[in-house]
Parts: sequence; C-alpha cells; structure tokens
Amino acid sequence: MPIRVTSGMTNMQLLSNLNRNNNNMGKMENQISTGRKLNKPSDDPVGVTYALRYRAELASNEQYKTNSDAAVSWLDFTDTTMQQAGDVMKRLKELTVQASSETLPQSALDSIKLEVDQLKEQMMNIGNSQLRGKYVFNGQNYDQAPYQLSATVTSYDQINPDQGAVSYAIGDQDAFRVNTSGSDFFGKSTDADNVFKVMDALSTALTSGNSTAISSQLSSIESRFTKMQTSLSEVGARTNRVELVQARLDDRNLNLTTLQAKTEDADVASLMIQATSAQTIYEAALKSSAKIMQPSLMDFMS
Amino acid sequence: MVSTFHGIETAKRSLNTQTAALNTTGHNISNANTAGYSRQVVSMKASESMEAYGLNRSVVRGQMGTGVEFTAIERVRQTFLDDQYRNESSSQGGWDIRYDTLNKLETIMNEPSDTGIRKVMDNFWDAWSDLSQDPQDVTNRKIVKETTLALTDAMNQASKQLDALSSDLTSNVTLKTTEMNSLLQSVADLNGNIYKLEQIGDNPNDLRDQRDYAIDQLSKLANVQVTQLDNGYQVTVAGQVAVAGTEVTAITAAGLEAAYQGGTLTGGEVYGMILSRDKYVADYKSQMDQLANTLANGNIEITLPAGTVLPEGTVLNSGANNTAVTYSNANNNRTLTADLKVTVQGINGLHQLGYTLSGTTPQKGGAFFTSKDGAAITAGNITLNKDIQDDPNKISSSLRVDGTGTANEKVTVGNNALALTMANLKNVKFGFNTTQAQTTTVDDFFSSIVGQLGVQTKEAERQSQNAQLLTEQVDMNRQSVSGVSLDEEMSNMIKFQHAYSAASRFMTTFDQLLDKLINGTGRVGL
Repeated sequence: MPIRVTSGMTNMQLLSNLNRNNNNMGKMENQISTGRKLNKPSDDPVGVTYALRYRAELASNEQYKTNSDAAVSWLDFTDTTMQQAGDVMKRLKELTVQASSETLPQSALDSIKLEVDQLKEQMMNIGNSQLRGKYVFNGQNYDQAPYQLSATVTSYDQINPDQGAVSYAIGDQDAFRVNTSGSDFFGKSTDADNVFKVMDALSTALTSGNSTAISSQLSSIESRFTKMQTSLSEVGARTNRVELVQARLDDRNLNLTTLQAKTEDADVASLMIQATSAQTIYEAALKSSAKIMQPSLMDFMS
Repeated sequence: MVSTFHGIETAKRSLNTQTAALNTTGHNISNANTAGYSRQVVSMKASESMEAYGLNRSVVRGQMGTGVEFTAIERVRQTFLDDQYRNESSSQGGWDIRYDTLNKLETIMNEPSDTGIRKVMDNFWDAWSDLSQDPQDVTNRKIVKETTLALTDAMNQASKQLDALSSDLTSNVTLKTTEMNSLLQSVADLNGNIYKLEQIGDNPNDLRDQRDYAIDQLSKLANVQVTQLDNGYQVTVAGQVAVAGTEVTAITAAGLEAAYQGGTLTGGEVYGMILSRDKYVADYKSQMDQLANTLANGNIEITLPAGTVLPEGTVLNSGANNTAVTYSNANNNRTLTADLKVTVQGINGLHQLGYTLSGTTPQKGGAFFTSKDGAAITAGNITLNKDIQDDPNKISSSLRVDGTGTANEKVTVGNNALALTMANLKNVKFGFNTTQAQTTTVDDFFSSIVGQLGVQTKEAERQSQNAQLLTEQVDMNRQSVSGVSLDEEMSNMIKFQHAYSAASRFMTTFDQLLDKLINGTGRVGL
C-alpha cells in the first residue's frame, strides 16, 4: 500500500523515538547515580530475590559475629579466672607439702593454716567471679552468686552450682556452650576432691597438727588440680573453635558482600560507556530531526 | 446545438469548483493540527454533457462537455483502521494503569532497601539473638520491644498504603465514569446533529470527525464497539449499549464493576483500575495479612531442649503420632528429660511456653502479638501485646524454673533457650495459608512476594510498551490515510490556483470571442 507521510506522522514518530531514547538514558543515569542496578523489584525480579537473601544472610552473619565476640570474651574471662584458681592450687600444694614434713612446729602449722584459710577465701572469690554482672560459674542461675553461705548452707563444699548450659548462637547449627559450671571446676558436693572440702579438711588437719591427715590431702589436691587443668584446656579448645567460627564468619561476610555487590551494584564503567553512546544517539536524533523538520514545500515556493 | 453562452457557463462552473477545492485546501491546512481531524477532498466530476438521448437529438457527432461540478466534499478515512485503533487503545489503557499500579506497589514494598519490611524483620530476629546473650538485661528487652513495634508498624503502614491505593482506584473508577458519560453525551448530541444535516443532504464531515474522536477517547477508558445505524452510531461500552442515536444510557461505577465480574469489561483504563485493585492490590494485601498472621499463629515445628520445664498444664502436640499431651506436675512430665520436637502456633504459641521475668513467682508468657481491634491478626492490625509494651519484663526468654513445689518455683533467669529458639525462627519453616500446607521460612515467603511483584511489574511494563507501540503503529496508519500533509495541500493549492487562473483565462477568451461576434460583425447598414 503506497503510504502517505504527513508531518503529523513524522512528528509522532520523532517524539516517540526521542522519548524512548530519553527513557533509556534516564534509566542508565538512575543506575549511575545510585550506583545500583537493582532499585526496584522489576529491574530484575530474580536478582532481587537473591539480593534479599544475601541481605538477610548478611544480617544474621553480623549477629553471629556479635554473639561470637561475646562468647570469646566469656571464654577469655573464664580462662583468666581458671588460671588464677590454678595458681591457688599450686600454692596450696606447696603449703601442703611443706606442712606434711613432720619437723614443723605447731606454730608454723598455724601460720600455714592461716594462709590456707586465705586461699579458701580466694578460691571462693574466684568461684563468685562476675563478668558483666553474671556469675560465670553458676550455670543458668548466673544472676545469683554460687558460693554463698546461709542458715541451711554452712560450708562451701555443700554447694552444687547449676550445671545448665549458657549457650550463644554463633551459627545456624546448634547453640554453642560458653560456660563451665562450678560443679565441674571446683567439684560437686559429693566429690571427695571438692576443692572446698579438701581445704576444710586440710585446715582441720593443720589445726590438730595431724601430719598424716595433712599429707593424705595431697592426692585429692592433685586430682582436683588435674580436673581443673582439664577444664582449662577445654575452655582453650572452645576458644579455638569460636575463633575458627569467627574466621569463617568473616569469610562468609566477604563472600556475601561480594555476591550482593555482583547482584545489586551497577557496573559503572560499562554504564558510563553505554550512557555516553545513548547520549550520542539522542543528540544525533535531535540534530537530524531538526534538519528533517525544517524544509517544506513552502520554503521553495515564491 | 449548444447555446452561444455555453462557454461562459463552463468557465463559471470551473471557477466555482476550483474555488470550492481551494477552500477545502484552506480548511485542511487550518486543521492540520486538530486532533481527530481527517483531511477532506472535493470530489469533482465532469458535469452532465449536453444532448441526452431523445427525439430532438441533433445529428451532430460528438457530445459537448459542460465543464465540471463537485459532487461532494468527503473526508478520507478508513473505518477498519478506527476499529483497530480503538482495540489497541483499550488494551494500552488497561496495561498503562496496571503498570502504574504495580509501580506504586513496588514503592510500597520498598525493596531492596535498608528501610523495608525485610530489614525490620532482620532487626527483629537480631534483637532476640541479642536478648539470648543477656536475657535478664532490661535494655535488650526494650530493644526486642522496639524492634517488634518497628516490625508491626512497618506492616501496619504497608497495609494502610495498600488500602489507600485500593480506595484511590475505586474513586478513580467513579471519576472516569463521569468522563465517559460526558463523552457519551457528546456522541449522542453529534448523532442528532449529523442525522439532521444528513436529512437535508449535507455531508457533515467535521461533526463526524468530532464524533469519531470522542469514541477514540472513550476507547482509552473502556472497550467500546461502534455500529453504524441509520440514526447514527450505536456505541457499546463494556458490552452494554450506552448510546443509540440520541439516547444515552448513563454508565455507573456499579455497572462497570458488574461488567468486570461478568467478563464484558475487557480493556481500557477502567478495566485496568478494577483489575489492579481486585487482582494485584487485594492479592498483595492478603499476602501481607498472611505474613502477619502466620508470624503470630502459623504452625512451626521446634525442638525444646532437655531440661525444659514447661508451664503447668501446657498441652502440646508431641510424640510419634503427634497427639495432644498435657504437661503437668500431676503427670510428672513437666521437666523434659530429652529433646522434644513439638508443633506450636507461631511466635505466640512459642512465647507462651516460656517464663517471663516479671513477678516473684514464675509467670508464663502471654500472646506476643495481638490485634489492635480484637479481630484475627492481619498486617493492618498486628501489634505487640499491650502488656509487653508496658513492661518488657513480660517477654518470656526462659524455658526453665528451679525449685520444687509450685510455691517455691523460681524462674531460671540465665536460661535463654526460648530466646535462642525465637532468634532461630528465622530459619524455621512456618505453615502459611489456611491449611498450613505451604511451609516456608518467613524470609522466603517475603522474598517470593517481592519476586512475584517484580515479575508482574516487568510483564506489565513490557505489555504497556508493546501496546503503546501498537497503538502508535495503528495511529500512524490512520494518519497515513487521514492526516493532513502540508506539502500535499500546498501542491494542491498550486494545482487548484492554476486551474482557477486557466478557467478565468478561458472566460476571458470566450468574452473576446463574443465581443468579436457581437461588436465586430454584422455592421451592415452602418
């Protein structure tokens, strides 16, 4: 069909082409200025669902990092207090060895007893250590001091600190236990080598000058000390584990950030080139249309 | 025999006809930019020649022409293209509105961003995770409270915006109805005028253009169909006869809704509005409601750790065949000796398994989410339980009590099992929809909403662009037939001008001829 071309048609065509060019440029400019190629779901529906997942995972990752930091600080604190307890045990052993020598006069034993009593105080204080208001050796009852005497509880060796686990979420898997119960570290009330039981017995033996009783405590001290060392190395092992998790979380963070950037961020360099070429096209269209629009038959009629 | 003055008559007819053609050219030029105008042409015809057959026919060979006359001034237009244009325009109107609505929905969803619902949801889980580090810390409790309020506010806000969008669309339908009725009225009026002019043998081109233009505009609003009857156009809007001759049956919003339900309203902006409202906005609102309700009450399967002491009289579906078991001191099963997998009703169900820090005796947690108006929980009315808002210690975090005998029981403050489980709900599949059959995590459910919205918007954008191209294409075809080309009019003008000049010259020639005959001959007797 022979087609008539009218100026209205040229106009319409021109406008719609210019509009399309302009629209394209607008989209690119929006991407360049926000630095993101995903600004609304329709920009890339599939990409957006990925972007949402990455964002959610990043958020939980950050949270796991916070939690693992708290776990590390708990473990470090436990480590320090446990080492202090270890020092107390070493001194206790020294004193016991010294006191078990039969040549010591009672006055010397008395002064050793005084020091043993002090050490017991010290051990009790360690048992009541607090980290940010929490008694770290009292399991899930960390709002109460574990080693407290009352009308019904007259000596520390009757105390069984709670064995509940204080757990932090440091990953998608099961929660991670950070605490060590005083029952495990200092001994339960039923344990023969309960540290307070041993100290009390030693103190009594020192008062009475019973050197056999004194030296018989050595094995209990030894066995408790070993248990304490085991606890301490368990804390160390757990610290290692959390540190590994932290490293993994950092890696994962980097991974997720990279993935997120790949999905969401605009490739500015290539966009700039595209935008420049789009602009050239737009300008060319403007220029040529200005030329085409002008002449009409009227220009050539006198 | 022709008469002596035959030539003058021929010249006169020529002058008349060329003037008419020139005038029409002028009319075309003037209306070059008038919307809906179609160019007009003067159809010329050689006028009836002398010597019709008859008895007194002369015997001279050859028929003597009598010049020119114009039979009509007609507009150049193809009805077929009009129909095409109107179909495309209806489709474009529909898609434009759908695209526009989906665009607004994208703004309401506001994803991906750092301020959308997904972000406040992340904050919500993180707050529980923080609380699990320090369950007795009142700061953490307040943070849980605030992030929960931020979450419910975001949902309330989205729901409110969806409602507003929905009612906007409804009131726009009413507005468009008024516009349509005024267009229909002008079609009816034009029908009347055209009919009258046609009766007296006129060809009211410009009125017809106006009538067609009115229908073009109508076609953008709804699907229309036009039938040419003796007394003018019969216009069918969305399957209903709206104009017949000069009779107008006014269109109502209710009528359009019924036509949409009945499937006869199939295009145009009004169609786009009703469809956007009933399909898109309603769908997203119901999905948001589902999200809110499921978060509060959807079935979830969780594992209660060994050592958990359930509140006295708790009934849970547990065990191999998922039967209801009552946990009580009387049954001697309140304290779990092993991990227990149970199904609870959402965050509310889980929250009621634990103990709060408020009061001196252990208090079981209440519902975590409540609705503002007491109705079932939706995105619009979900909020944090008022009791918790007033006292964040009423957030339960512990799953354990110590002490024997109900009177001596005391909440184990450091037990964070409930807070941990709550924070981990991020990765737990909830039972969505009424049958709870669809299980997916809250995050995935929300992502799927956003993804669906993205796909729909992209599709609508594509369709709307296509429809625009098609409409332009058909309009271009129409313009090609009916549009005024100035170049063409200019050349016509020259053509008619020359014809006019030549006709005048012819008259002058004839004049001289007669002058010679009358004044230069027969001077006998002078």
